[in-house]
Amino acid sequence: MRVAASRISPLLACLGLLAAWQIAALWLNTDSFPTAWQAIKTVPDILGDRESLLNILDSVRRMAIGLTLAVLISIPLGLAMGRSSRVAAFFNPLLMMVYPVPKAALMPVIMLWLGVGDASKTLVIFLGVSLPVIYHSFQGARAVEEKMLWSGAAMGLSCMQRMFRIVLPAALPEILTGCRTGLVLALITMVTSEMIARQSGAGNILFNAMDMAQYDTVFAMIIILGALGIILDAAFDKLRWRLVRWAEPRQEILLGAA
Amino acid sequence: MTRHFNAILMGLVPIVLVLALWQALCSFGTAPPSLLPPPGKVFLRLVQQLGNTGFLDDILATLWRLFAGFFIAVVLGVGIGLAAAVSPAVNAVVRPLVQVLAPLPKVALYPALIILFGFDHASKITLVTLDALFPILLSTYYGASMVEQKLVWSALAAGTPRRQILFKVILPAALPSILTGCRIGLVISCIVVFLAEMITSTDGLGHLLVGAARTFQTVDMFVPLITISLLGLMLNGLLFGLRKYLLRGFPEV
Repeated sequence: MRVAASRISPLLACLGLLAAWQIAALWLNTDSFPTAWQAIKTVPDILGDRESLLNILDSVRRMAIGLTLAVLISIPLGLAMGRSSRVAAFFNPLLMMVYPVPKAALMPVIMLWLGVGDASKTLVIFLGVSLPVIYHSFQGARAVEEKMLWSGAAMGLSCMQRMFRIVLPAALPEILTGCRTGLVLALITMVTSEMIARQSGAGNILFNAMDMAQYDTVFAMIIILGALGIILDAAFDKLRWRLVRWAEPRQEILLGAA
Repeated sequence: MTRHFNAILMGLVPIVLVLALWQALCSFGTAPPSLLPPPGKVFLRLVQQLGNTGFLDDILATLWRLFAGFFIAVVLGVGIGLAAAVSPAVNAVVRPLVQVLAPLPKVALYPALIILFGFDHASKITLVTLDALFPILLSTYYGASMVEQKLVWSALAAGTPRRQILFKVILPAALPSILTGCRIGLVISCIVVFLAEMITSTDGLGHLLVGAARTFQTVDMFVPLITISLLGLMLNGLLFGLRKYLLRGFPEV
């Protein structure tokens, strides 16, 4: 019963939000704010159109590449920072400097160097995702119990083995929290970088439609991107649940921007 | 003391290295100055700009949007978070809504916000609020729901009226968690306000960057980026100070 309720309640929330939108739109009754129903009707048109679909898939591919690279590099760095105070002292201030810089804002600068193509957008996504993953891996590795490491060392595990067989699994719940944040951030950075570079991709469709006053398309794209975010997040949560079922549920703070 | 000093010194090394690499790329001619201006020029320009009233107005516009959005997010986030932690009825409504809204890429809503609220401050402030709200709300909620029941009982036993429990026990006990959420929210606000200004704006730091990019003024492109980074550092420092002051009675913060 409880499980069923927890499954249904997000759906109900979605329906409630859409209903609120519908009522607000009917009440305001302006051309620039279509009703929820009109926007939903436009969704199949966009997904059925070959060019838009290719654009959206391109965006998703860039996002996947950027995310994968970021995860592969950030986790080892974060773990190293968590285990060695020297490494941490070395990288921390630099990361602190970089943290408040909006990564998508580097887009114009990076575009000058790498062009408007895939490379610059993927790089921006990479930069956006890295920081939370590094941060959470760092926190996770730092919280590993010393005793476990001592016993590992006493049993003759080398430094690298300890890293792989003790620190990595122990920090995994925290690392995955970071990856989840990174996933949402990757989507956000993807949309923003395309809004700024305006050459291809989902963000571009969104703003082109807005410039041409096709408000149905604007809101339909918002629905598509929102659904993408929610689906990816839910899928990742399932994966995480499988990987770290043994860990007690931790609090998750979702970071929200890039 | 020396240990602390060493740590700072270690931390300065990579920053200096980055600057040196930047300078080297320029002076050995690997990167043409039109693509990567030398760091000296950029910092000189930054200092010049700080005396320029137009530039200061842009900073003020950005800060005003940042703070307005952030404060609304703090008030809403702490309020809703506390309410959800205390009342099961509110929780039943808020929880599914947050589950749906938190992973939503909020920037995608920006065009809708422009259509609804216009190009001016309102749409940007709303976007900042939306983005900063969820980390603050979630950490308030977790902080408040982790408060030890014994504390509430002892306060009740000591004669605290029921309605004051919220402000006298739960809010202070949840404070560390709330402040962590605020810190994340603040960084996010910095980022979002800049992005919103880059996408559509007529003033603010983000607009400066876009304007410079359109006219290929590379030096002027770096100035707003460095400014927002420094602003973020300063705001973070201020919040850290506030945290230290507010949490002076707490162990290990």
